[in-house]
Amino acid sequence: MKIELKNISKSFGSLEANKEISISIPGGIHALLGENGAGKSTLVKIISGQLNPDKGSILISDKKINLGSPKIAINNGIGMLNQNPLDFANLSVLESFLVGNTQNSFISNHRKTKEKILNLFDNYDIKIDLNEKISSFSIGQRQQIELLRLLYNGVKIIILDEPTSAFSLEQKKMIFDTLNKLTKEDITIIFVSHKLDEVFEICDSGTILKEGKVVYSMNKPFDSDAIFAKMFDDTRTKNKITNIEKRSDKFKLFFDELDMTKHKTFSNESLLDFGTIVGIAGLQGSMNDRLVKNFFSRDFSKSGIFFDNGDYIEKNKLYYMPADRLERGLFEDLTLKEHFALTYSHINKYINWNDIAIYGEKKIQEYDIKANITQKVDQLSGGNQQRLMLSLLPESPGVLLLEQPTRGLDYNSANKMWDIILHRKKNDIAIIFSSTDLDEIWDYSDIIISVSGNTIMNIDSKQNLNKENIARYVSGIID
Amino acid sequence: MNFNDLKINFIRFILAILIIFFLLLSFGINPLDVTNALFIGSFGSFEKIIRTMLVWVPISLASIALIYTFSSGMWNIGIEGQIIMGAIGATFIARSFLGDNFISPYIQLIMALGFGGFWGFICAILKVKGGVHEIFSGLGLDFVASGIAIYLIIGPWKRKGIASTSGTEIFHESSWIPTVGNLDFPIFLFLIVILVYVFTYFLLSQTSFGLRLKATGINFFATNRFNFSSERYIIYSFIIAGALAGIAGFSQVSGSYHKLVPTISGGFGFLSILLVLICSRNIFLTFIISFLFAALIVGGSQLQIKLDLDHSLVGIIQASFVLSWLILQRVNLEKKILNIFSKVLTK
Repeated sequence: MKIELKNISKSFGSLEANKEISISIPGGIHALLGENGAGKSTLVKIISGQLNPDKGSILISDKKINLGSPKIAINNGIGMLNQNPLDFANLSVLESFLVGNTQNSFISNHRKTKEKILNLFDNYDIKIDLNEKISSFSIGQRQQIELLRLLYNGVKIIILDEPTSAFSLEQKKMIFDTLNKLTKEDITIIFVSHKLDEVFEICDSGTILKEGKVVYSMNKPFDSDAIFAKMFDDTRTKNKITNIEKRSDKFKLFFDELDMTKHKTFSNESLLDFGTIVGIAGLQGSMNDRLVKNFFSRDFSKSGIFFDNGDYIEKNKLYYMPADRLERGLFEDLTLKEHFALTYSHINKYINWNDIAIYGEKKIQEYDIKANITQKVDQLSGGNQQRLMLSLLPESPGVLLLEQPTRGLDYNSANKMWDIILHRKKNDIAIIFSSTDLDEIWDYSDIIISVSGNTIMNIDSKQNLNKENIARYVSGIID
Repeated sequence: MNFNDLKINFIRFILAILIIFFLLLSFGINPLDVTNALFIGSFGSFEKIIRTMLVWVPISLASIALIYTFSSGMWNIGIEGQIIMGAIGATFIARSFLGDNFISPYIQLIMALGFGGFWGFICAILKVKGGVHEIFSGLGLDFVASGIAIYLIIGPWKRKGIASTSGTEIFHESSWIPTVGNLDFPIFLFLIVILVYVFTYFLLSQTSFGLRLKATGINFFATNRFNFSSERYIIYSFIIAGALAGIAGFSQVSGSYHKLVPTISGGFGFLSILLVLICSRNIFLTFIISFLFAALIVGGSQLQIKLDLDHSLVGIIQASFVLSWLILQRVNLEKKILNIFSKVLTK
């Protein structure tokens, strides 16, 4: 099934998410690549009818279709498989097929439908009991079932939105097998991803988006060097770390085989100076966030942060900032003032609200938080919430553990954030942060840990690396 | 609580009363007659005031208990069981060799605290260590406590010669809650409740403990970052709540009934859940509304005598009050009324 996008443009206010995008897909599996914010998800939403473009048209088999309605998109045979399975976990497989079925009348002929579904599963060599509940299957199997359900409902074009981010290797294989079979039935697949290894493995053609524009179109066989160059360019360097005098105290990081797989060992003798910034690079859904979190919660068996004499760094010196601000970081129904009081709640039995107010006002100034001290935190913008979280960390030197410190922040807020973080470098033991943004990793880290899935691909200091290497490592490619 | 909140609550209160008046009118009952009967029934004589106080005390204590558990984000459905266990603890002392000693009520108080607190603790441990939802364990423990009470009443603690569910032997008078002089006024209980109110207010608003309790209730996961564990504060809240509910049980056996009966909790635990819900954990409001509910319960007996109305009308009034309150809270009518008032006043 051929699908053509012509001059698609879409802007949100002053932000142009898609600019004159034209892509022609003759069939097979087509990769849609690009960094966060490149405009992939906007484009996908336009194709699946969730968004109406400002300009442009879509042709399926040379026939122009109406846009801007999910229902029309479905009727035109466009289906979407989401990152997380959007199915009914409490229904059996059969029931879920019946629920989503648009063809049958109110009273459906169960036996006939069942036969049809069984045939479908047989065709794709998937052996499952139709009466079993969906929740009993693995995520990979659930995605497979969803794929078949889309197919059963007559879908001809399937969009997969980063479908493998939560998958194990086996599950990935299962899905890829199914996808390969689907293409033989003249079904076109649009594969949204930023994992290059997967793209190289199964895609027939692809498009790279950058800042809302098509920057590169490609066909098999792929030229990996050209793709890397297009996806990650080196023009935006803004290394602001001023040289700070070397500190004599040392700490070390230790990663044990029990907790993760490793491609490269970080030799235990290599001690790091106090004040080192360690960036953990990884794609969305890889273990980079979990590394940061487990350093704090000590959920690892042996891995952790140690002083050079081998002692664990005490728990009360680990200052952790989670990526999801309101879910795990702040108390949405408490005011800023109450948050400041909480940071000293282990010292003070009684709260002197006047002292807290003075202290809080000082912090608000210092961290440039645009808010009133009596406001509840859920009324704050993302950047302000993030800076508040930072201002709540104790001032005494410790290990900063920051999970995606600038997630969802615009350029200016992110810069402000890093100004504050870098300010702490000269006193803190270490600053360890995770990010999916390679530029951020590159700009601020002294030591870079590259993670792909649950594997540590590489650990090295920045001098020995270049950005392209890191991009390869996080995509799961080892040269 | 700021002044504006108080005004809004006051208007809400008037509106809720108005709704009840209309409801009564629709039954063909004169609401003023009912008000009058209720007032005389609860405050008409010194004796009646004392009875109102004896209902107000357990409701207040149970409500404050629930303020603690609601603060930590927990639904303490087990409050009824905690009241019953407190009552059993007190009865145990009253029936022991200490029963005829003047010291008995004080020991009873301590026992009630312990028994109730322990019952709350079980609920908390099941929640924190066993992952059992506190509503299920609470409900289960309510039945267990009630079962224990009935077993004791018709078993080991039965009256001589007969085994009936009408209760145990009346306690020796030394085991009754002390009163002042010739009056029957239970000053001891009254002081305890006032003390609990003041202490709770201070604890929740001026201490780190109170703030941490509140933080636990809002975000279970974020507390770790502030160097304390939510789990510990959930356990604290349940122990405090259980202990306070235990005192309510003590008040019931040694202040009201002077014996253990199967229905010793009087349903005050569940009533308090409603009460705390409408007061949204506000201590001042709890103080006032619990008093009104107590007056309503005691005054209700007059409805039958004076107006020939069934006592169940009290239940209807209570329930419609709670419902109208919650709906009014949602609709936010008071704010609009307040705005109109202030506009008129400024003109």
